[in-house]
Amino acid sequence: MSKVAARTTDWADDEDNEETNTLPPPQSTKNKDGTETIISYRFDADTGKKIKTTRRIRKTVVKQFVNPRVAERKQWAKFGEEKGKAAGPQTDTTSIAENIVFRPQVNWKASQAQEQNPIEQKKASLKDTKIKCRICSGEHWTSKCPFKDTMAPEGENAGADAAGMDDDVGGAGSLGAGGSSYVPPHLRGKAGVTGERMGGGGKYERDDLATLRVTNVSEFAEEQDLRDMFARYGHVTRVFLAKDRETGRAKGFAFVSYADRSDASLACEKMDGFGYGHLILRVEFAKKAT
Amino acid sequence: MRPILLSGHTRALTQVKYSKDGDIIFSCAKDQIISAWYSANGERLGTYTGHVGAIWTVDVDPTTTLLASGAADNTIRLWDVKTGKLVKTWEFGSSIKRVEFSPDGKQLLGVTEKRQGHLSTIIVYDINYDDIEDQDEEHALRIVVDEAKATVAGFSYQSKYIISGHDDGTITQWDAKTGEFLDSTQAHEEDMLISDIQWSPDRSYFITASKDKTAKLISATDLSVMKSYQTDTPLNSAAITPVKDYVILGGGQAAMEVTTTSARQGKFEARFFHKIFEEEIGRVRGHFGPLNYVAVDPMGKSYASGGEDGYVRLHHFDAGYYNFTFEVERD
Repeated sequence: MSKVAARTTDWADDEDNEETNTLPPPQSTKNKDGTETIISYRFDADTGKKIKTTRRIRKTVVKQFVNPRVAERKQWAKFGEEKGKAAGPQTDTTSIAENIVFRPQVNWKASQAQEQNPIEQKKASLKDTKIKCRICSGEHWTSKCPFKDTMAPEGENAGADAAGMDDDVGGAGSLGAGGSSYVPPHLRGKAGVTGERMGGGGKYERDDLATLRVTNVSEFAEEQDLRDMFARYGHVTRVFLAKDRETGRAKGFAFVSYADRSDASLACEKMDGFGYGHLILRVEFAKKAT
Repeated sequence: MRPILLSGHTRALTQVKYSKDGDIIFSCAKDQIISAWYSANGERLGTYTGHVGAIWTVDVDPTTTLLASGAADNTIRLWDVKTGKLVKTWEFGSSIKRVEFSPDGKQLLGVTEKRQGHLSTIIVYDINYDDIEDQDEEHALRIVVDEAKATVAGFSYQSKYIISGHDDGTITQWDAKTGEFLDSTQAHEEDMLISDIQWSPDRSYFITASKDKTAKLISATDLSVMKSYQTDTPLNSAAITPVKDYVILGGGQAAMEVTTTSARQGKFEARFFHKIFEEEIGRVRGHFGPLNYVAVDPMGKSYASGGEDGYVRLHHFDAGYYNFTFEVERD
């Protein structure tokens, strides 16, 4: 069976080859619109297949007067490294570069200066603007704030932080979530599930109540100093002193959280105006923003 | 305008020249070969090989029969343009920085470099066209430049004067027949090398390019500075365009100095100035190295620039180039 099949193909191939050995003569027909259609056939060098080429051409005669010396030089044979190469530009030495727009203009220099201006103007305008972080009021973008993970923007109940973790765990734990504070998205915001505190409105609120914002803190302040000072009025759950990333010095403000709000209000009262490190501390409850 | 990129050289270009009819461009480079190109399509006609040192300079006679070249192998060579055959070699004690044919093609001058034991000279040969292989071994004229060395030189109209540029920024006028010193002027800043001299079509005035970042249009008769073009980069070359009243300046920070400058780029652009109003009217970018030479088609159809980057960029002017006029030029 297979033998027969093989023979058939061979036979077919033979037929094809026989056919392709001869090429039909090229045809040329004149069209009504003055063009000419030329159909020519050739063998492809690689595959041996017959290729039919149909070209439609229009002949126009362009007369050009050329300096006879120049015309003569056009006919010169190539020499040196180009010897024996075909007529016309060779791809290895001659190529076309990208287009260049060249429009001479009066006052070219001034127009160039204008072109550069938009960038420089923007730079200049940025130079004078004061960048203010919404979280810590530092001179950087809010998105670049080193405290953006630990603090909410000043506007929105500053002071939310990991100190609330204990309570969180408690709330979620009652759910039987195995001590994890993670709450699945579909359960979020449901009072019965996340604990009444959440239902009470905003996850920062509870914290706010017992968090003091301390400003005008000395550059050389240490977190432990603050903790010692504020611990006199009650159990301090957290002290956060904003520090400059590069210099390691304090930035002049801190947050102190108490476990109990009454302690916090007492501390607020007593510590406001307290002298520390040659500076008068200013203490207030961490504000909510509008 | 779509430039044609001629990439036949493997090292920095040193000079590019058009034939008098503007149909063939000759380029020479530090890679020791000279190439001839058709300016119409950028096709390479051939190469002239034989030099064994960086070729500094090339020039073709007005009939496009003979090609002269000067190189760091201390020779001036004469080639048959058509076949690429070497027909004559003159040997010297130091390298040749510039060769140029006289306007009628009957003489050829060469500028030799000043080196230990060799003074800078300008040397002139008579050229024989009846049998190009039979050239005089002896020079017709030899001018010894004993003060600042000559860097470039050329013949004025009717081969009356030889004008030379020196490495101290001076321009000197010599009598082309006798070699007598006639006049000298401090055209450019002191100790600023004059890198190029190119002629107006009638050779009555010329343009100089200098490392002091200016190009100047100077009269050949009395060496008076007629126009001055101020740029912001050392210049290697300057050319006067026929047809339109422009000049093209080429230059750029030398490669070794690029790192020491804070400029945004090396300023590797061809600068177009209006010849009369001395105002910059545009630039053409493309090279990524300093422009070592700019040459303009004597027919005014194109210009070519050879760069330190090893490319010749051939630009055929388009309508924007021809149509541009200043307000006062319009009637």
